Amino acid sequence: MQILISNSSKEPIYEQIANQVKSSILAGELEEGAALPSIRQLAKDLHISVITTKRAYEELEKAGFIYSVVGKGSFVAEQNLEVIREKKLKVIEEQLSAVISNSREIGLSLEEMKELLDILYRE
Amino acid sequence: MEHVIDLHNVSKTYKDFSIPTMNLQVKQGYVTGLIGANGAGKSTTIKLMMNLIQPDAGDVKVFGQDYASHEKAIKERIGFVYDGNVFFEGLNLKDIKRIVGPAYKHWNDQLFYQYVEMFELPLKKPIKTFSKGMQMKASLAIALSHEAELIIMDEPTAGLDPVFRRELLDLLQDLMLDGKRTILFSTHITTDLERIADYIAFLNRGELVFNQTVHEVSETYALVKGGTDLLDRDTEKSFVHVQRAATGFEALTDNVNAVREVFGSSVMIERATLEDIMFYTKGRKSYA
Amino acid sequence: MLNLIRRDVILQKKLILVFIPFILFFTLMEVHPILTFFVASVYVPFNAYAYDEKSDVNILLNSLPYTRKEIIAARYLGALFYMAAAIGLSIIAMLLFSKDFSVVDVGMGAGAFLLFGAITFPLFYILKQGYITATLMFVIIIGALMGPFLVRVLGDHLPAIAQFFTETSETVLYSGAAIIAIVFYTVSWGFTTLIYQRKAF
Repeated sequence: MQILISNSSKEPIYEQIANQVKSSILAGELEEGAALPSIRQLAKDLHISVITTKRAYEELEKAGFIYSVVGKGSFVAEQNLEVIREKKLKVIEEQLSAVISNSREIGLSLEEMKELLDILYRE
Repeated sequence: MEHVIDLHNVSKTYKDFSIPTMNLQVKQGYVTGLIGANGAGKSTTIKLMMNLIQPDAGDVKVFGQDYASHEKAIKERIGFVYDGNVFFEGLNLKDIKRIVGPAYKHWNDQLFYQYVEMFELPLKKPIKTFSKGMQMKASLAIALSHEAELIIMDEPTAGLDPVFRRELLDLLQDLMLDGKRTILFSTHITTDLERIADYIAFLNRGELVFNQTVHEVSETYALVKGGTDLLDRDTEKSFVHVQRAATGFEALTDNVNAVREVFGSSVMIERATLEDIMFYTKGRKSYA
Repeated sequence: MLNLIRRDVILQKKLILVFIPFILFFTLMEVHPILTFFVASVYVPFNAYAYDEKSDVNILLNSLPYTRKEIIAARYLGALFYMAAAIGLSIIAMLLFSKDFSVVDVGMGAGAFLLFGAITFPLFYILKQGYITATLMFVIIIGALMGPFLVRVLGDHLPAIAQFFTETSETVLYSGAAIIAIVFYTVSWGFTTLIYQRKAF
């Protein structure tokens, strides 16, 4: 698992960690049930305080991305991935509906819209 | 046992300095940084924790036990590193080891020599020929060679070069891996070790201003910058201390949310470093 | 505790090498055996204090798993141990060079050391670091000047005491002196422990 921390970022370090782990999970790099490094090991590897990695894992746990077993460590949560995907899909649907209604207002055709999407997606 | 060290209503008065009442708990399994300007009471606090001085009133408990009846058992489990050399300066490291080692039940010679090698310390040269950094390394080697669960360090980074300071960080983090150890260190250099501290206990003029996780500190304290026209008696209430200049003001707040409410986006809000907090708090006298 | 006593040997390794010629010198110069026994006994314990004065040894010792009681006990018991060793060495030296001495001399030397220790040991913990050696020299000089004078005054003005000494049998006298020295030493030990327990480092 790769985590890069920026000291000059405005984003707190625990958020940086949580977000990067999240991305890895969503991108499928971290599979269901995969073990995460221990809080203390991760703190040592990143040269940061234990409480910071602890906070990052707590945030991830709250959001349902990972779960912890006392004495065993933290693992990537299973069933929630589907839910997250669905949630994201729902957000995308809503955003697309907004795009469609905006397009209709200025009379943009479906073809033109697809073309625009094509260009943006490839960027 | 959640608190390795527990100072309960501790007070100590000297002619020119006093700790009115202090309540300070050090959490097990974490690194606590004791910060404060020179003369804030860091060394006195550490001496109270080590039973080198006794409080005028209040209780000092270490590992849940008090010194009156468990002094030896407590000190068996503490590794200490002091600012300055407390070892016999004419002796070499090997002789010092021969004096200090047998004091501990769990002294580990092999471990000691491992650290000596790692720190590149000479065994046969008198301690007084050591540089400040080497003396600190020697103290550390001794402190780490008897399976101490609590490591207390008074100003360990003073006099160390940046390279060893980093190495020290690594080493301390290694020690923290199993989660059983607790580290407490005092420092007035907040940059390096700030990074590995979980809790920050801040002393100012003998009083504990706060003892919080690094996150709580960064979520309550902030530096605020803005035009001086924004300041009046009311708005200033949300600041610990304000510095004015012709170009604007810079202030420390211990209540970021209140500042956001009062000033909205008319001011610039930045993360306050521990140094900022120390600097601005020094101007203030009491924390009722 | 034994380790605390042993530390003096480690600390004074080199000085102990000087110790042997030192005893030989006293023996060969035909210094009175009582004085030889006394000075030999003083050697290690007082060097130990001189060493301690130079460093923050109290901070070190009190950070190690020792109680304050033990630290003081090690001082007082250690002094007895080193006294015995020093007197033993002196006796060997005197026997080797066939110098005369009596058992009474040994007792008097040891007694004098106990009394001297009883008075000076507490001073090491009462006085501030840095003033100890100076004060000690002062005490010794005063003692050397006043001692004979006091004895003369006692002899002149208190014939009753003189009479008591001449009338009492030697055994009673010596054992009485021994008991007094031991009592003094023990009281001093207790007193020093009390002081030390209240000290701040």
